[in-house]
Amino acid sequence: MHIMEGFLPWQWCLVWWIVALPCLILGINQLKRVLAADREALPLLGVTGGFIFILSSLKLPSVTGSCSHPTGTGLSTISFGPWITAVVCAIVLLFQSLFLAHGGLSVLGANIVSMGIVGPLAGYGLYRLLRDTSVNIYITVFLVTALADMFTYITTSLELALAYPAESGGFVSSFILFLGIFAVTQIPLAIVEGIVLALVFKYIIALKPDILIRLKIFSKEKINAARNEV
Amino acid sequence: MKFKYSLEVMTVIAIVAFCAVFLYTSSTMSGAEFSGSDNIGSGLIAKLTGTPVENFKPLITQWKPPSGEIESCLFAFQAAAGGILVGGVFGYWIGQKKKA
Repeated sequence: MHIMEGFLPWQWCLVWWIVALPCLILGINQLKRVLAADREALPLLGVTGGFIFILSSLKLPSVTGSCSHPTGTGLSTISFGPWITAVVCAIVLLFQSLFLAHGGLSVLGANIVSMGIVGPLAGYGLYRLLRDTSVNIYITVFLVTALADMFTYITTSLELALAYPAESGGFVSSFILFLGIFAVTQIPLAIVEGIVLALVFKYIIALKPDILIRLKIFSKEKINAARNEV
Repeated sequence: MKFKYSLEVMTVIAIVAFCAVFLYTSSTMSGAEFSGSDNIGSGLIAKLTGTPVENFKPLITQWKPPSGEIESCLFAFQAAAGGILVGGVFGYWIGQKKKA
């Protein structure tokens, strides 16, 4: 999903930085508050952030004949919300910009918006919808993860289509072309990522259910039900 | 009695199915290069603007890994950092549980 350095006009780089910066500030403040309230949230942050590091480093081949990578933002989105996830993603994307030439500093804002903000926001919206329903925790994690992943790539397509509308067909035509490259490639990856992270959540529930209850991520009843389900 | 490892089995099936789809696709698709979608996206930008890819210059000069191998090494380093973090915390939690 990386927009490469130099491939976005400076005006658009600025726009996406302006969108990303307030979200990052909000995320840092929220992170301070969460950690001040409960230090035991720190290991959970480590696990959810660790999966963003791992999964976003895996370039996997897909059905379209090209490679792409999962984002791993689902766990962090469910556990800490989109703003803290944006901060973790910013760290990963900065590392990739500085040392891997994937993305870049000028386009970092645009890449943070797609991977760290819009994807997690979409996932978080779905999580809030499903949290208090009877939908199983693992199905919730699967759907949130897959949706956050897909929306990341849809947003990248949108950012590029806005900057580069096609001569015939304009923005819509360009958006469809970019979706064909980014979003279609991502569908199988998003499904596998959703299943893998649902399994990881099973282990978090098995080892540290109390932190999930204290942070009000899921209710005690739902967590107990999940422990007996699979 | 419910099967304790059904989620693990589903995960393995999903990964095997994913690999099978890739193997099928790579053997039947002619001209598939399996390069990164980022690069293909950059190629489409070049096509849409009529400007060759090499004419897109970085707005902020950046360091590039000197070879693909070094790039792979750094990607592995990123995954390892995440792995150490995840493994460390799970170990910490297991230790806490045993202590309790």
